[in-house]
Formats: sequence, C-alpha cells, structure tokens
Amino acid sequence: MSAVMDMGGRDGLTWGGASLKSHRDEVLARTRETGHYNGFTSLALKEREPIRYEKIFSRLRGGVVDARETAKRIAASPIVEQEGELCFTLYNAAGDCVVTSTGIIIHVGTMGAAIKYMIENDWEGNPGIEPGDIFTNNDCSIGNVHPCDIASIVPIFHEGVLVGWVGGVTHVIDTGSVAPGSMSTGQVQRFGDGYQVTCRKTGTNDRLHKDWLHESQRSVRATSFWVLDERTRVAGCHMIRDMVEELIREEGIDAWEEFAYEVVEDGRRGLQNRIKSLTIPGRTRQVAFVDVPYEHEDVHLPSMFAKTNSIMHAPSTVEIHKDGTWTLDFDGASRWGWHTFNANQVAFTSGIWVMMTQTLVPTERVNDGAYYGTTFRLPKGTWMNPDDRRTGHSYAWHFLVSGWSALWRGLSRNYFGRGYLEEVNAGNANTSNWLQGGGFNQDGELHAVNSFESAAEGTGACAVKDGLDHAAAIWNPEGDMGDMEIWELAEPLVYLGRSIKTNSGGYGKYRGGCGFETLRMVHNAGDWTMYFMGNGYMVSDWGLMGGYPAATGYRFEAHDTGLRERIDKGLSLPLGGDTDPDHPDYENHLGPNARVKRDQQGMTTEDCFENTDLYLNYLRGGPGFGDPLERAPAGIEADLNGGYLLPRYAEKVYGAVIHQDGDGQWRVDAEATQRRREEIRQERIARARPTREWMREERERIIAHDASTQVRQMFACSFGLSERFLEEFRAFWELPEDWKLVEEDLGVPTYGARPEHRMDLGELPDVRKVILVEE
Amino acid sequence: MEAHTEAVEVLGIDAGGTMTDTFFVDAAGDFVVGKAQSSPDDESVALLNSAEDALALWGTTVEQAFPDMVTAVYSGTAMLNRVVSRKGLEVGLIVNRGMEDVPRMGRAIQSYLGYAYEDRLHLNTHRYDEPLVPRRHTRGVTERIDSKGDVVIPLRDEEVREAARELLGDGVHGLVICLMHSYKNPVHERRVRDLCTEVAREMGRDVTIVASADYYPVRKESHRINTTVLEAYAAEPSRKTLHRISDRLRDHGTHFDLRVMASHGGTIGWKAKELARTLVSGPIGGVIGAKYLGDQLGYKNIACSDIGGTSFDMALITGGDFTIKQDPDMARLVLSLPLVAMDTVGAGAGSFVRLDPYTGGLKLGPDSAGYRVGVCWPDSGLETVTVSDCHLVLGYLNPDNFLGGVVKLDRERAYQAVREQLADPLNLPVEEAASGVIELLDFELRQYLRSMVSAKGYNPQDFVCFSYGGAGPVHTYGYTEDLGFEDIIVPAFAAGFSAFGCAAAEFEYRYDMSQDISLAPDAGEAERRSAAETLQKGWSELTEKVIEEFRINGFSPSDVQLKPGYRMQYRGQLNDLEIDSPIPKAGSADDWDQLVDAFNEQYGRVYANSARSPELGYSVTGAIMRGVVDTTKPKIPVEPEAGEAPPAEAHLGTRRFFRRGRWYDADLYQMETLQAGNRLRGPVVIESPATTFVVPDGFETHLDKHRLFHLRQL
Repeated sequence: MSAVMDMGGRDGLTWGGASLKSHRDEVLARTRETGHYNGFTSLALKEREPIRYEKIFSRLRGGVVDARETAKRIAASPIVEQEGELCFTLYNAAGDCVVTSTGIIIHVGTMGAAIKYMIENDWEGNPGIEPGDIFTNNDCSIGNVHPCDIASIVPIFHEGVLVGWVGGVTHVIDTGSVAPGSMSTGQVQRFGDGYQVTCRKTGTNDRLHKDWLHESQRSVRATSFWVLDERTRVAGCHMIRDMVEELIREEGIDAWEEFAYEVVEDGRRGLQNRIKSLTIPGRTRQVAFVDVPYEHEDVHLPSMFAKTNSIMHAPSTVEIHKDGTWTLDFDGASRWGWHTFNANQVAFTSGIWVMMTQTLVPTERVNDGAYYGTTFRLPKGTWMNPDDRRTGHSYAWHFLVSGWSALWRGLSRNYFGRGYLEEVNAGNANTSNWLQGGGFNQDGELHAVNSFESAAEGTGACAVKDGLDHAAAIWNPEGDMGDMEIWELAEPLVYLGRSIKTNSGGYGKYRGGCGFETLRMVHNAGDWTMYFMGNGYMVSDWGLMGGYPAATGYRFEAHDTGLRERIDKGLSLPLGGDTDPDHPDYENHLGPNARVKRDQQGMTTEDCFENTDLYLNYLRGGPGFGDPLERAPAGIEADLNGGYLLPRYAEKVYGAVIHQDGDGQWRVDAEATQRRREEIRQERIARARPTREWMREERERIIAHDASTQVRQMFACSFGLSERFLEEFRAFWELPEDWKLVEEDLGVPTYGARPEHRMDLGELPDVRKVILVEE
Repeated sequence: MEAHTEAVEVLGIDAGGTMTDTFFVDAAGDFVVGKAQSSPDDESVALLNSAEDALALWGTTVEQAFPDMVTAVYSGTAMLNRVVSRKGLEVGLIVNRGMEDVPRMGRAIQSYLGYAYEDRLHLNTHRYDEPLVPRRHTRGVTERIDSKGDVVIPLRDEEVREAARELLGDGVHGLVICLMHSYKNPVHERRVRDLCTEVAREMGRDVTIVASADYYPVRKESHRINTTVLEAYAAEPSRKTLHRISDRLRDHGTHFDLRVMASHGGTIGWKAKELARTLVSGPIGGVIGAKYLGDQLGYKNIACSDIGGTSFDMALITGGDFTIKQDPDMARLVLSLPLVAMDTVGAGAGSFVRLDPYTGGLKLGPDSAGYRVGVCWPDSGLETVTVSDCHLVLGYLNPDNFLGGVVKLDRERAYQAVREQLADPLNLPVEEAASGVIELLDFELRQYLRSMVSAKGYNPQDFVCFSYGGAGPVHTYGYTEDLGFEDIIVPAFAAGFSAFGCAAAEFEYRYDMSQDISLAPDAGEAERRSAAETLQKGWSELTEKVIEEFRINGFSPSDVQLKPGYRMQYRGQLNDLEIDSPIPKAGSADDWDQLVDAFNEQYGRVYANSARSPELGYSVTGAIMRGVVDTTKPKIPVEPEAGEAPPAEAHLGTRRFFRRGRWYDADLYQMETLQAGNRLRGPVVIESPATTFVVPDGFETHLDKHRLFHLRQL
C-alpha cells in the first residue's frame, strides 16, 4: 500500500526500517508537492469503504473521549476534574493528529510539536524509543503554551514498528516557578518560569522512573496535584494505546495505517469546505493591544531592564482564498518582551483551533488537517514567535486571548457579509483575573492555588442577541465557574460574595455578556501570598459595528481590615459585589486602619496576605455589537433590574429615559427615549468631522512623534521587525519616505532589542527546531 | 369474553404528557395495558379512564378489581413539565448575603446541559433557561460557615426576620433556605428555618419552608440550591396531585397508599419528605425491571439497553445493584439527588441520517424524527432519511404492522429517499447504503455499551444483556454481536418493560449525607477507630430519617431492612466511589480497614491498579443509608414449555431481508403466538404491534417459560 508503508531499507522504527525522521520528511514532501496531506489527492479508504471508515473514526474518537472521562476522575486538582483542563490526542507515526478528545484541544498541536521535536532530533538513536516508554514534555521553546501544561507521551508499536503516539496533557496547579500558582508573574525569563522538561524519557515498561518521581516532586510545590495529574495522564494514554492495539488486531494494520494518514487529509478538506460555505473570499484586518504595566511598585522584578510599562501589539490579517484555504498573517506584531506573555508559534498554530471549533468548525473532526489547510505567517522575533531562547511564557494567554479575539471579530465581519448573523460574535472576554498564590493552607500543607473561575467570562455579543453572561472562556466553550464549596476546599479563602459584574459587558444594540466577581477573605491560612494577573489600563477587546468593548480590569485588595472585630461586634461587613467602583462601598465596611489598594494595576507580583485580608476576583465581560442607541428599551429595563447595568450608563450610553416605579423596579419610557436618542444623534453629527480632516491632524502628530512613550515603543518594535508593516504605515498616513521611529531614540531600556544580541534555540548545538509557520 | 379469575394485584401508572398508561398484573403474572388521554387538570380522571380500558380486556371493572389490589406505583412527567415550563409555585429564596446572584447565575454548564457534542462546542448556541426563582424573590442574610463546619460569621437574626417579612409580604407561597456548607454544620440554616416559621406564624401565613440541610445535606451549593428549590417549587404542587390520586383510588376501594417512582430506583410514598426525587422516573423503569428479573432468575450482573425513537439508554446492574450518580442533571439543572446512573446517547430508530455537507461522511443524528418515524410515513412531512427508513428498505420492519398497523409505511418512498440522499452520493447500491447505516449505528451502540461496561472495570462476559424499548429488539443482534455477553435477553413484553419495571420497584428510601473523614496512610488504631465511629454516627442519623419516612407510611422499624453505604476516595482527590458497606455497623479500627479494603478493590477495578494511590491516605466523603420494606411485586409469567417447533399459526409468511451484502427470505412470526420452548434460527423476524425482534442469519433464539427470548450467536 501506498506511500505510507513503502520505504524500505533503512534502520529505524517505521516500516521497512525507515527512520521516523525520513518518514516525516517524506510525508511533508508529498504534502508540499500535491497540496494534499501525504499526497492523498483522493481519500481511497473513505471512498472505497465509507461505512468502515466511519466505524474506525467512531471507534477511535469514542475511545479517546472515554479515556478522558475515566482518567480525569483520578485527578485531585479541581482545574482538571472540575474544569476539565485535560486533553488526550492520538497521532500517527509522523506526529500528526488523527483524533482528539474534548477538553483543551489547543494541545493537539503542542504535543504534536513535542513528538515532531523527538523525531527531528533523533530520539530513536538516543535515548531510544521502545514499547512501554513514557516521555514527558512541557518545554515552551518547542511548542508548549506555558510550563504548567504537562504532557505525557506514549508510543504505540505493532510488531516492533512504531505506528502511532498518544499524548495526554493536564494543566497542573504548580510548576515550581518563581511564585506559586502555575502562571506566575515576576520572572522575566524562562529561567524563572518553572520546572521545564524537554521530551524526557521518564518511564520504561509502563513504569515511571524513580529518579523522575523524586526529582519532579521536589521541583514543584503542590505534590499531590502533581502526582495524581501524572497518574491521570498516564492511565489515559495507556487506555488509548490499548484501544488502538485492539483496533489493529480487529481491523488489521493496513487499515490503521491507511486511516491514520487519510483522516488528516479528510480534516483538511473539511475545513476548506466549511470556509467555502460560511465566508467570502477576501481580506479583513484587525488589531489587538494589551498592557504590560511593569513600572508599578507592586510589580517586583529581578531585572531593571524589564521594569517598564509597555504595550503588546497584534495587527492581523485574515485572508480567505477562493479555494477555501486561508492565511492568517500577524505581520506587524510587536517583539517578544521581558515578561511572561510570550508565546511559541505552536501556541498559535495549534491554539487557534480551540477557538475555531467554537464557530467555524464546531465538529469532532478537527485534527491536524486544519493546520495543513491554513497558512500561518508569524514573523520571527515577534511575541508569538520569539527568536531568543530566554523568553518567559508562563502566562502566554495574556495576549493570545486578545489576538484571537480580534480574529473572531474579523471572521464575524465576514459571516455578517455572507448573511450568517447568528454566527457573529463581537470577540471574547479577556479571560482574567487569575487569582493565584500559595503558602500554607487551611490544612497546614504547602500549597498553591490557581482559581479557574476565569473559565466563565462574559461572551461577545452576536448580531441577533446579547452575549452570554459569566459563561465561557475563549479557550474553553464549556467553561464553568464551579461551585464555591469546592473552591473553598482547595483554597483558604472564604467567599464573601459572588455576583454578576455590573457594567462589565460592552454596550451595544446587543450587549456583551457580563462577567462576575467574587470577594474572598483569607481564612485559616498559614503564611499566605496572592497576586493579580489581568488587563487593567487597556481594554483588550473591541466592540463590533458600533458596539463597545468590555470594561477593563482593576484590582481591589485590602489588608488590616479589622474584619474580625467587626464580625464580633455585629458591625456591617463588605459582602457581595463591588457594584459601582466609581463610588466604592467596601471601604465603608472596614476597620479604621485598613490599607486598601484599589487601582487599575491589574497585574502584581506575589505579596503577603494575612487572615481576614480581602481579594476581589473580577472575571471580565465580553464586547458588544451594534450602536447602543438601537438597543430595545425592554433590554435596557431588564439590564437595570437584573443588575447588569448602572442607571447613569443607561442614560449616558443608551440614551434611555428611566425611572423607578413604586416597587423599586426600573422602567424605560420608550417614547421619551426615542426623543432623547434623536438628540444624541444630532449631538453626534455636530461633533463629527470629515475623516480626511481628522487624519491630517493625526498625521502631523505622527510626524512629530507625538504619542506616549508606550505607544511609540510599541510601534517602534513592530517597525523594527517588519519593513512591510512600516511601509504600509507610511503609505496609510502619507508620511515622508524617511519617516522612522526607532527604539533607541525613546529612552527606554533596550536590553535584548538588538538582533545581534539574541540567541535562538536553534543555535544550541545538536538542536533541530520544528518550524510550522512562515516566519 | 371470559371473566378473569385471578386477582388483580399490582397497578403501574405511567402518566405522560399526552397519554396515561396503566399496567395491571394479576396473581399469575399475566398483565394488561390500558391507555387514555391524559388530563393534566385532574390526573386521576385519566388514570381511571385508562384503568377501565385495561381492565375491560379482562372483562372486569375498576369497582370489581380495585378492592383486591395490593399496591400501585405512579410515575409521570407532570413535575418535570412544571419545571421545564417554569410553572411552579412562587417561592422565596434565602441565601448568604452577597450571594443573591448565585442561584440566577446557576453554573455556566447549565448553558449547554443537554446539548449534543457539536453544539456544546458551538458557543453561539448556548443559552440559559429562566431562573426558578427571580432575583426579586431572593434575599441574603449575613452568616458564614467554613468548609470544616466552623462558624466564621455568626448569623444575624434580624436580617432573617426582615428577609422573611419582605418575601412573605411579596406573596410567595414557600420559603427555601440554602446557606454555604450547611451540609457540614446545619445550625444556621435551621435557625433561619425556625425564624421564618415564626415570622410566617406572626403574619398568619401557612407556607412550605424548606432548609437544604434537612433535605439534601450534600456538598456543592448550586446543586443543593436547585434541588431544595425544586422541593418547594415543583414537588409540593405534585404532592397535592398525588394525594388526590391516592384518595381517588381509595374511593374505588383500594386499601394502600400510592407509591411514586423515585430517581434512586426505589419507590417512595407520596407523603415522603424528599419528593423532588420523583422528578424523573420514567427512563429508569426498565433498569428496575431488569434488576427485578435478575433477582428472580439469578442474574447478578446485567447490562440494560433500551432504544426508543430518539435515544439509546444504557445502565449497569452489578452484583444485583444499580450504580447511583450523586450529582446528576435533569431539565438542564445541576441537582444533588441520587439517580440511577444511565448513559444516554442521542441515537435511536428515528435518528436522521445525513451526509455531512463538509466532509461527505455519513452522520447519524443527533436530532431525530421522534414520533414521525421517517420519510416512509407519507403523513410525516419529513424529507430527511431516518434509521427507520433504512429498516424498511432492508425488510426489517413490516410496513403494514407499524404500531399494530395504525401507521402505514411506504417502503418505496423510503427506498427513493435513501437512494437520492445516501446511496447515489456515496456511490453505493441502495441496500448497501441502508445496511451501512444500520451497521454504523449498531457499531456505535456496541462501542458505547462496551465502553460503559469496561469503564466500570468489567468484561461483557460477566454480564447478561437485556434489550427492550420499542426499537431495542430490532438492533439487539447488532449491538451485542461479538461482545461475548453471557446471555442476551429480549423480554416478549419489551415495549411495556418500563411500566413493568415501575411496578416491580422496591419500596425504598435512601438518604445521603456529606462527610469529611480524612486519614493519613499511617493512621494509628485510635484514629481508625474514631473514623469508623464518625461514619457510624452518620449512618445512625440517616437511619433515623429512613425509619421516620417508613413510619409516616405506617411501617414499624422492625419492618425495615437497612443497607449502609459510603463514598470514599484517596485523600485529596475530588472523585469518590460509592461502595456498599461490607459491614452493617462500624466502630473499630478493624471495621475501618474493611471499608478501606472494599474501596481499594473497587478502585483498582474501575481505574486500573496502577492508579491506586494508597500512599495518600483515605477520605470518606459521604454516608449513605438505604431502607427497604417488603412489598408485593408483579409475578413473572410461567408457561408450560411447548417444544422447539413454533405453532403453525405463529408463522406469518416470509419477507425479503437484506444483510451483509445479500438478500434472504426471512420467516416472519407473530410474537404473541409463539410458545414457551420454541426455538427459531435466523433469518427470522418476530413481529408484535409494539416492537420487532430481528434474528438474522448466524443467530438463534428461543423463548423460555417466562416469555423471555434468549438470543445466541451461532
């Protein structure tokens, strides 16, 4: 049969003794030559035996899903068991995904990248790949999103030939980084990001090595989570390996080999057909920004060159081609930085599907075919494709979510054009805050926490309805906030409130979903620390077609609260939501010596919290769609009475004329509102100016470099990486040909800015990088 | 008609939204089924009409038969409909101050509960249902108790009185109280309950007041809030209905209290405190029926399978017991009720069959034609092929005998639809395409069934498979093929099996309670003894509740058989296993060790031995007490064996039948006319008005003296 098996004569683990490397090279060469995965211009098995093909698919997919469901019950970590932060994926021998389970399917590609790294770097020769081996990987420089996603990878053999791989990944609660909680801030390089393991052989004969067990447990804080997560992953991988071996016994090795490659091409075609039927060929451009506010006194860093405020930049182009393939181009993105928000290219090439399965391809059939149907252009040196091996990645999601939200917005404009209004989504929430920390917990154990309440944020508005409140995360459509009684088992923090976050969804004809907030009081902890992580000074999403972005983040924490005394005396207490932060109320219920930190610094480093100190965990809303002046009065009324909207914003933004009835219920006067909205429209016209006129003024400012340092530095970084982006910028603003903006002129730290002072992973001896994008 | 001589003993009632079915069993195990249109305003009307319809078949009447009857079991959808259509009692809800939004926020999973997989991914399809209690009827009171049961903030009584006054002033008809960690320490909740009772009395109001700790002392507040709210919102109105039905039965001469099917697989009295667990009862009837038959006939391990028009439901009985799910969801709400664990897949005889427009692959469901059968029914208005259309093309179904001939099916319509929609695009002959659909469906069902058995750590060889439901016997051979079940049983009364099961259910109360007993692996004797004592304390409290329920129904403690159980996990884990206690009482270190051994054994079986983590120590997370009293159950029919050859009058002729690439002439038999002892070798099709049993070539079946078909692969 076919190209897959026909390569004899060499010493290796695949058919005829070919090495894995030569096997992968040949698959890639055939893909390149034909435009079809592995050269499959037709789907022979599927066309010959369509029923059998579906049966094999159903069996593999069912087995992978079942393994996940069963294995996750072994875990101790609420983020695995309750939030479902685990995923199992089956690969062919070349490391391309055949089927994947539910869960965080971003790892389809991250584990695939690890397998490909082993293939490219001849793991066959050393350390060797044998039946019963277990490999562990969480190395961000070869594709992992962040170090806390730990993958266990097990090869599948048939009569001495390697015929596939299975990988399982869990998000562990602590990875031994600078601060507890798995996605810490403070470190600015890989070396503080936590324990990282590069495709290490950690088990043989299905048993984990003792040196690995000893070393890994002393490298992290919360060992019971670590140990049981690993048992979860390994048990799931073994269940899937057994299932594949059984399938091979029953269907024959030929059928497996044919299926395992053909299904990837099938996946590629599936994506192509979806794109054809849902979109219009052409280009959409969009952009995302997020703040990195490191100058603040509550951000403690080891390195002065990182102690600066900056903005991350992600302009993007979605180009749909007539044949139903597409290109995602991030030309103009800013450079990687001395923070932990950098991302490996695989976080993009793989991660994108976690979002696309929520809209473009909501199907169980997503596999690496989708990758082969997409061209990614991620310029080398950007924050999503760093060219330096020192970069930190522990919270890569900080900007991934915003970058992807922009893509969703772009796609939504395309859906809108095609008439699929129901598919429109104005983007998605910045999935923060992340409540993290650790110390000694209520049981007197060394502990770390990472609250996944952030899995339930407001979603973006649609073109026919509001976004959903406190419902999902861009990386998990099945997100959930979990029960408070379970979080209180895991964290020495009692809830003093859990409330819908008023005004957090972006305004619009259809508003964004609102997020929620929980007020936590430290209780029965030993030594205890916490920190914040989320956007604060900038909104990181945009509204769509006149809709507003979601509200930005902020922080509230309080120390020396005097709450013990207030509780004992029966005095008023801070309970429930921080409903109107412009008119704060918590402070009215604290003792006289309370120290409150209430500001837009949504990101801090580890700080001590004593019992009865307070921490507000605010989970963001989603952006809105359409002009708020078009919102139906009934919707505004429901928002006011449901606590989704503050009255003064009903008036200011929606132009609603409102009053409270005898029962205290809000009412909107529809006719008066109509009149008020007409006035607002007139005010808008009075305020409006011709675009060209406005652009002329802006152009003068640009020529004079009249912008904040952060904005200038952000653009300078982008220009430094892309001459094309600079030229487009000059052309758009009709700037002189010699106009330029360079970092060296800005008086900001430039450590790491010069290309000659960067060292890529590939420059290490004996390392072959796996490159999956156009750079 | 000949007058019926045997006493009519057992009545099963299935009150659906459109039809009310009654199922009578006599002292010999014979039964009749009656039907009448449902009467939602007064369900007792439909019940009596349906009973008249059934009893007429025996030439008797309600007046003649009811005085001899010994028991009746009700199951119905009225409560579920009340919840789904949000037509329950207006109730007020008291929660922790600062958490007034929580009941309304629900849990995010409630925005996609009940969705097919692809819609679960597809974010823009997600939506929340209306909250059961609106925000304006929710009040918060200041208090906090932590996860260990210690008071962090004492309850502030005046706030409670104010909340109660406001809510009652708003005219609510019930008050529901649910505070954080009340399962661990109920003192605040009970205080709130008592204060509310005082205020109601002062205001001259007679309302239902329900505190979660008195009903569902189980961890996970969103589950507990929903369930406790249902108790007041939906169950209290149902209690009135059941009371009326019970009275109406007495008016006609019965001498017993009506029992109601409950989610834990037993029946409870209509006076039971926890009535919300009767919310969903229909689907589990078959599982109970299978367990009952198993008990009678000596099958300890049973895999139950039920195919209807829209779904495939599976459940396991191991060692003679159901598996219970502790925090299930129903009606898109997360709940804390013990529910007989069933796996449901959206694949049934009515499932639509399509080619995926993007991949060209064959796709079954997840939506289905439901009662509209398929394109083959000209009146259906359907254009998309269903599984039933494929059955018809292949000769599995008799177009003139669907639902006893009430619905006439058109094979040619089905044939053309399969050709246009499936066969031509797949480049297959029509029969191949249709049989491909059936093969794929059977294959998928087989995978589900097998994975359910293996996920519990068993092999199919250890199980007898029961197949029932209207469409079950059509697929029995297909989804059991090569799995190696010890035996495969199709009751000749497959279509009425759920009603039979309800009538066969135990009179059983079950109470659950969260516990937090945690022991290090090296715990000494004193600690182990103390742990055993703590568990026993839980058992004792629950025993009192169980005994009390039976006392309400007129039983004395000595009538009650007690069955203790517990939930255990390795320390730090979040998932526990429910274990039937190997010992009746616990009090010593030795007892504790026995509990641990039973847990370790079950854990190794479910998750593989390598996943055992005894080095972490053990936690008991819940105590369980079940109590059962004896009741009269329907007898299983026993017929004399008539020999292997079927009577000539049972043979209905032959029909062309396609399977695995070739046409056969299958012999057709009438199910009711076959006699005990008959043995038939495939290909044969055995027809009855409500179901069709397909025995293809390579299979053989024989009907035993209990009117159970046994299917065997040759």
